[in-house]
Amino acid sequence: MSEFIDRSTFDHLVQLAALELTDEQAEYLLRELNNQLKAIRELEAIPLDEDVPATWHGVPYTPQISPALRGDDWQPFERPQDILAQAPQMENGYLIVPDIPHTTLE
Amino acid sequence: MELCDLPAYELTRLLRQRKISATEILASCLARIETVDGRPGSTEPGEISDEDKQTVHAFITVTDDRARAQAMSVDQKLADGEDPGRLAGVPFTVKDIFCVQGTRTTAASRILANFVAPYTATPVARMEAEGALMLGKVNLDEFTYGSSNESSAFQPCPRNPWNPQCVPGGSSGGSVASVAAGEAALSLGTDTAGSIRQPAAFCGVVGLKPTYGRVSRYGLIAFGSSLDCPGPIARNVTDAAMMLQVIAGPDAHDSTAASVPVEDYLAQLETGVRGLRIGLSPDYFKVTYPDELGEYVQQAVPQEFEAAVRRAADLLAQMGAEIIEDVPMPNTRYGIPAYFVISRVEAASNLHRYDGVKYGHRTVEPVRDLNEMYRKSRAEGFGLQPKLRILMGMYVSAAQYSEQYYQRALRVRTLIRRDFDRVFDPNGKYRLHALLTPTTPTTAFPFGAVYGDSVLMQYADQLTVPANHAGVPGISVPGGIAADGLPIGIQFLAADYQEALLLRIARSYEKASEGESWRQVKPMVLQR
Amino acid sequence: MTEYEAVIGLETHIQLNTTTKIFCSCKADSWFDPPNSNICPVCSGLPGVLPVLNRVVVEKAVLLAAAMHAEIQPESCFDRKNYFYPDLPKGYQISQYDKPLARGGYLDLPLPDGSRRRVRIHKLHIEEDAGKTKNEHGRRLIDFNRCGVPLVEMVTAPDLRSADEAAQYLIRLRQLLRWLGVSEADMEKAHLRCDANVSIRPKGASYLNPKTEIKNVNSIDAVRDAIAKEIERQIREVEAGHLIETWTLEWEEDSGKLRKMRSKETEADYRYFREPDLLTLYVDNAWKNEILESLPELPLERRQRFIEQYGLPDYDADLLTGERSLSDYFEATVKAYGGDPKRVSNWMMNDVLRILNESNRTAAELKLTPEHLAEILKLLDGGTINTSTAKSLLEKSDSSGKAPSVIVAEEGLAKVSDDSAIRRVCEEVLAENPKEVQNYKGGKVTLIGWFVGQVMRKMGGKADPALTRRILEELLR
Repeated sequence: MSEFIDRSTFDHLVQLAALELTDEQAEYLLRELNNQLKAIRELEAIPLDEDVPATWHGVPYTPQISPALRGDDWQPFERPQDILAQAPQMENGYLIVPDIPHTTLE
Repeated sequence: MELCDLPAYELTRLLRQRKISATEILASCLARIETVDGRPGSTEPGEISDEDKQTVHAFITVTDDRARAQAMSVDQKLADGEDPGRLAGVPFTVKDIFCVQGTRTTAASRILANFVAPYTATPVARMEAEGALMLGKVNLDEFTYGSSNESSAFQPCPRNPWNPQCVPGGSSGGSVASVAAGEAALSLGTDTAGSIRQPAAFCGVVGLKPTYGRVSRYGLIAFGSSLDCPGPIARNVTDAAMMLQVIAGPDAHDSTAASVPVEDYLAQLETGVRGLRIGLSPDYFKVTYPDELGEYVQQAVPQEFEAAVRRAADLLAQMGAEIIEDVPMPNTRYGIPAYFVISRVEAASNLHRYDGVKYGHRTVEPVRDLNEMYRKSRAEGFGLQPKLRILMGMYVSAAQYSEQYYQRALRVRTLIRRDFDRVFDPNGKYRLHALLTPTTPTTAFPFGAVYGDSVLMQYADQLTVPANHAGVPGISVPGGIAADGLPIGIQFLAADYQEALLLRIARSYEKASEGESWRQVKPMVLQR
Repeated sequence: MTEYEAVIGLETHIQLNTTTKIFCSCKADSWFDPPNSNICPVCSGLPGVLPVLNRVVVEKAVLLAAAMHAEIQPESCFDRKNYFYPDLPKGYQISQYDKPLARGGYLDLPLPDGSRRRVRIHKLHIEEDAGKTKNEHGRRLIDFNRCGVPLVEMVTAPDLRSADEAAQYLIRLRQLLRWLGVSEADMEKAHLRCDANVSIRPKGASYLNPKTEIKNVNSIDAVRDAIAKEIERQIREVEAGHLIETWTLEWEEDSGKLRKMRSKETEADYRYFREPDLLTLYVDNAWKNEILESLPELPLERRQRFIEQYGLPDYDADLLTGERSLSDYFEATVKAYGGDPKRVSNWMMNDVLRILNESNRTAAELKLTPEHLAEILKLLDGGTINTSTAKSLLEKSDSSGKAPSVIVAEEGLAKVSDDSAIRRVCEEVLAENPKEVQNYKGGKVTLIGWFVGQVMRKMGGKADPALTRRILEELLR
């Protein structure tokens, strides 16, 4: 149970989240995170009986109200070009991105 | 009265009687926007001028061409004797968190500033199919993260039409501001922790959070997937019912849109509250939070708020409802911490897709590799509030913490749900049809008031968020004006899929309080 | 000198052959399509989209689970597996983590020595596929066509003991998948993908040593070769006193070498959590039984039954149960024939299979029906036709679709066993070929075959060859 998030944990989170921050932003966010950890601690202190289950949707989805599964019928999207028009970089139909650091060693 | 100030039910009636045209309605709304809105939000706003501070700024994108074409189509249908639709000629705005084909859909974020959606969200499509006129995409807190609309990357952000020095609330700030200022009759907003109800309370309009799963989420840019509810915002209860009628119902594109038949919300709207049991809970007349030592302390909601609720209870009692006092909702106090964890886990995951690969902002800075492209694109595209939620979400969902935080929060959610099950149980002790509570513990606060500082503001969502955890429907309706001249909202909560009941009770209250003097007061921007 | 045994587990991903993807209505198969043409807002991860589960994906997965003797769970759930990769548009893969569709299971692998290796699987779950990336000049090219294709993942226990066994497992798995009709299982088209986990230990030991993971093996042969190489390498290392580290290795097809990879996700924490956009998947008994009505007799079970019931040797049983329609055909023929199943087997293995291979068809596509094949055998047994006529009837009946007896009647193909008719033609042949008769009488007795051939030719192949030969020998004395 963490009392607070230290700078190195924070930096690791930033990396996992694929973000990068200025020092000023990092300071602000780290402070806010630690403030909001109070809410987490609150959560830990709430008395919970062993047998209280998790609820993923507040409303219980019984078989009656759950929509049926989808049939296996092909319905092509009419305008894939509208999707691709949003791409920052395309060539010959492919989306282009820089390479991934992935060196193979003997 | 200007056309744009008329209720939606009046507009459709006059339209079908051929007394007005859709084109005229549209012209009236566009004129109102011109008068009160000021410039739309932009990512390059320059300085916020004094003039800016007097206007509403509800919009990010005005879609007047689209609306004009829709108005012409409605008028043509009427001329041809065809049915123009149940919302024919009704102007509406759409919170810019919904994809609408061919329009810029920004989520009020730089990361989607130039994203043009290739498809339309189901609720919007349903409204357009019924002849409604889409005026534009309105502003919000970035990715709906916030309760004041201040965090939008598109500035100037919306201002409260009652007092433009105050926030409209959030995250559906633009939605409620556009309706309160008479720019549109209806707006489509979203409610994840109160983000329809709270701004509705702040801006003196009606805001309905339907049951989770009542309205399709297809096309709603996700924040808290298990909490988000699209819902109507209107100036009166009947209009809200009309809009819900159109947008509610199952959708083949949404696996969580329940297969529950859509009732006729208008049919019973005027049937009154005789014999209905409406509960008041002490847990909703205060904000409960832990102090430094972890002990729970309470702060009562301001007297005016409790008074507004009690006055409403009296009116309803006069009309034959049974008011039940002291209904315990003991787990209300746990709503905020559970919400913090659940929503942030879902949000962090929902924001993974904004990576600069296939849409949205990609950095133009030179990058060495893909990871750097990700980092720079996301750093440049996301504001601080999304970054905060992402980091918090990553932290509490990490494998080593998941059991303690995320799983625990899901179990606390069960406790909150049980509160509602208990009081709404038709065979239980209370057998309530609805709960009546204040919507918020404060009126709209001034811009720049550092939210998160005052306890009341940090825990302000405590009165609205339990309904999101439990999935039950809730509606906020105007309940008075506070001493500071700003609106007070009162809230009704009911059991799953009881929107018809909720609307009926709200309508009764609205009718009973029709003559009250505070209803004569107009928002500041409309008084000029 | 320590004797080592290899300990191998396989992780397989199977592409189901549904019409559409798992969570949207795009096509599942877009192998031949131009890049990014088979996409929609859902599978390309646009803002605001939601997944909707394809019912047939569940049905095929349930069928496979039953065939693998796994326990189908009445309730299973979907989870998000979160990580960044350009071919994963949502930034998470929808999979199943702690509540999979089926638990347990096994495949009994027949080994060459007649024994069986029970290869256990821990569980079977369904998930969506990612898109494709390819490298080019320091850039990555991304194609989303394959995003959202339905996959079944099965991970075996480390029960395999050699590279050959691993290859066998994949062969049997592929056979099973095609047999059930749930996947084309073509490894070259990535319908069936496999990663191998390999370790070694002294023979007889029961503990597990650190293992290496082999990726990028795109054919069954590659799996066999790569594993064999890795086992050799590990033995070499251990003999040299080194420890085996848990590397991830990549198989390079062209060079036949294994190369160590730096993994693309360092110690990934996928932060699994329940997918809020999907509901719990309920497979109740009613639905399960409905699905399992189409569960056929499984290939290995049928193989065993053919051996026991029809007295067929292993080789025959194996070949005839290699593919489902072939084995159905065989059995239908046996039933229609009523005679020795081995006879049917011989004809199928020699002649029918040849016809199928040449025309690239399955037995189900043959116009020659099992009843007709049985008829040919009966005609042959009864002496109405001879062997070469029988063989030609196979082709004739297949191309025309007519019953063999009808063709025999129409073309007058009945075997001529009339002594006098044959005798007359024999005399003709001998009279026309005095030189050969001379040579025969001079000692070249092998010419008898040539004489028989000449008679057969004159008689349109219809003469009874044995009788013809006897008559000729008599005439040539």
